[in-house]
Amino acid sequence: MKNVMGVIYTGEKDSFLRELTLQRAVAATPVAGRYRVIDFLVSSMVNSGIKNVGVIMQKNYHSLMDHLGSGKEWDLHGKNDGLYILPPFLTRENVGVYNGSLDALHSNMGYLRRSRQEYVLLSNSLILFNADFRDMFEAHTRSGAEVTMLYTNRREMQRPEYGVYFDVDENGLIVDMEIDPTKPRYPSASMDVIFMRKDLLLDLVDRGAAHGYHDLTRNVIQRMVRDAGMRVAGYEYKEPCFRLDSIRSYFELNMEIVSPQVRHEIFREDRPVYTKVRDELSARYMEHAKISHSIVADGCIIDGTVEHSVLFRGVRIGKGAVVKNSILMQDSVVEEGVKLENCILDKQAVIKKGGTLVGPRGYPIVISKNMMI
Amino acid sequence: MMKKKQCIAMLLAGGQGSRLGILTANMAKPAIPYGGKYRIIDFPLSNCANSGIDVVGVLTQYQPLELNAYIGSGSPWDLDLAHGGVYVLPPYVKGKTGEWYSGTANAIYQNLAFIEQFNTDYVLILSGDHIYKMDYNAMLQYHIKKGADGTIAVREVPWEETSRFGIMNTAPDGAITEFEEKPKKARSNKASMGVYIFTWEKLRSYLLADAADKTSSNDFGKNIIPKMLADREKIFAYSFEGYWKDVGTIESLWEANMDLLQMPMPIDLYDSTWRIYGRNPGMAPHYVAEGAVVHNCLITEGCEVYGKVDRSVLFAGVILKEGASVVDSVVMPGAVIERGAQVKRAIVAEHAVIGAGAVVGEDSGAIAVVGEKVVLPPGAFVKAGEQRDR
Repeated sequence: MKNVMGVIYTGEKDSFLRELTLQRAVAATPVAGRYRVIDFLVSSMVNSGIKNVGVIMQKNYHSLMDHLGSGKEWDLHGKNDGLYILPPFLTRENVGVYNGSLDALHSNMGYLRRSRQEYVLLSNSLILFNADFRDMFEAHTRSGAEVTMLYTNRREMQRPEYGVYFDVDENGLIVDMEIDPTKPRYPSASMDVIFMRKDLLLDLVDRGAAHGYHDLTRNVIQRMVRDAGMRVAGYEYKEPCFRLDSIRSYFELNMEIVSPQVRHEIFREDRPVYTKVRDELSARYMEHAKISHSIVADGCIIDGTVEHSVLFRGVRIGKGAVVKNSILMQDSVVEEGVKLENCILDKQAVIKKGGTLVGPRGYPIVISKNMMI
Repeated sequence: MMKKKQCIAMLLAGGQGSRLGILTANMAKPAIPYGGKYRIIDFPLSNCANSGIDVVGVLTQYQPLELNAYIGSGSPWDLDLAHGGVYVLPPYVKGKTGEWYSGTANAIYQNLAFIEQFNTDYVLILSGDHIYKMDYNAMLQYHIKKGADGTIAVREVPWEETSRFGIMNTAPDGAITEFEEKPKKARSNKASMGVYIFTWEKLRSYLLADAADKTSSNDFGKNIIPKMLADREKIFAYSFEGYWKDVGTIESLWEANMDLLQMPMPIDLYDSTWRIYGRNPGMAPHYVAEGAVVHNCLITEGCEVYGKVDRSVLFAGVILKEGASVVDSVVMPGAVIERGAQVKRAIVAEHAVIGAGAVVGEDSGAIAVVGEKVVLPPGAFVKAGEQRDR
């Protein structure tokens, strides 16, 4: 499947995740104990045989660049193809701020043209899943459609006033598309993954930009569907997927991954999720450790009680501390005797001895990176 | 001619490690898993990387497949370089002859051409049998400062154990005056760690002479070093004081794993200035279920724990089902402990399956071992000291 290149657009609106995305793109947000959101997208592409992946960055992209590095962890450091980091840059017609995916693609026409692949798989970075796209590529060829878009019928993906929804007919063609409706009328939510021939994409981007459009889905593909000039097919994705559009959904996604069934669907042996390695010792449980229904990454040292929580790499839990329903990011510290419930501790946050922090159910308290409480 | 390197390392990884019994039936000793995330060879390789030694020849011979695959391009240790890096060096046919490595010195002798490519001044000789963190560069600086022809790393061992080691008798300035292999009555307790630095020109001439000597067993400890001492070459002892553990037997391998459960650890593996690198299996963080009991243990990615773990080390991808227990044991990658099985004072090798209700090991006595990929039927019993290989 070397004939497909992948392009990930990470420049979407990131204010949904509030404190978590003050200093990082959504794509760089830590998730599931040892990963960043983008690991799932890049790994899905690599596991589908894609060897050329471009990541379009917009702002706050330092942590994303730092994480992706040379692409070595994803085997994307070859001589031909590999990982391409595409930060914004100023040109005469481009001021470096993208108002949508079309702007971003237009700025990176050079990269698209230079790449040798015949097809392009485009993705945003606000939905997390672990997919094998090869079935979708085949379906695309079979259907004869010009464009194929991935969708899901999972009810949890429906949102008021947010998202792209498809009306898919019995032949699998998208016959109508609604963007950000107050109440979604169609059950099929777009997963923001688009597949087409590269020459078609180049043409659409060029023409779209010439008309002053900014967004590929809203301004170009929606018109294609409505004006019926081209055939846009839908391809249903049936496995778990999660929106990252609020602190609450971020929290729930992590909590769901704790349960064995969802975890086994997201982490499959045949689709490994690659990430930057930290070379740490295993997690260490001490004399007073009491832990249940939690996922724990390497480098943690645990001497307290942990229930239904996600512990990232290098977390410390002191003696007598009780942590429930919480997400503790890399190197955060919960000192002796602390009580923590419904909280998200960002990286390196420290909760000092004896503190108590209990968030309301479903609305976790977020402690920002490097904070000490 | 390649870019000049001041010092290159040659790592002797061909040993069979027969005292490790069934654990080394299908793999060389340096490939044995250790400490939950590592293999023994990660220690010398990481020490090289951290010491700034970026050419490492790994001499393999016995069961090399696992080791070759593990080392790969050397990228986990940052040894995948355009100039240098890690090289796996099996014996090969030269002209009309070709032979196995007949001894440690012969292994180096057969790779003279490899070493000469780097135009090196010094050669560091290592073995893949020990767990330790050591700055080889500090030892190299000592070697240079002393103007030595050879430097041997030594550590003090308890007097009652001196008869198990190669013992160095030294002058006050550190010069080695005598080398005694496993002496009955030792006069010093400075034992060789099997870590040597030689000035290459000097070693080269001794290797050539040794190869021409039909009576030699071509071994550093038995031939090269005694010969250099007899010729009054300048050989110095370099004292090392940190943690150093030979993992050459089942008991010592088990003990070395248990050492990591002490707090503070006798060997600090949390030290971010001297990380021990290894090939990462890339699995999800581990899961501990409701009802599981975990105390005093090391658990790593890919594990799923539904049962009880106490004073034990679980490697990547170990599954411990409901009602199963692992106490005072080492469970290597991918092993499965079925419901109600009990493992105590044991080593369970890679991908072994312990059937439901089976019992491995006893509360006291020697360590029990279940070999690689062995499927132990439900209700089976493996007694203390037993090694089950099928």
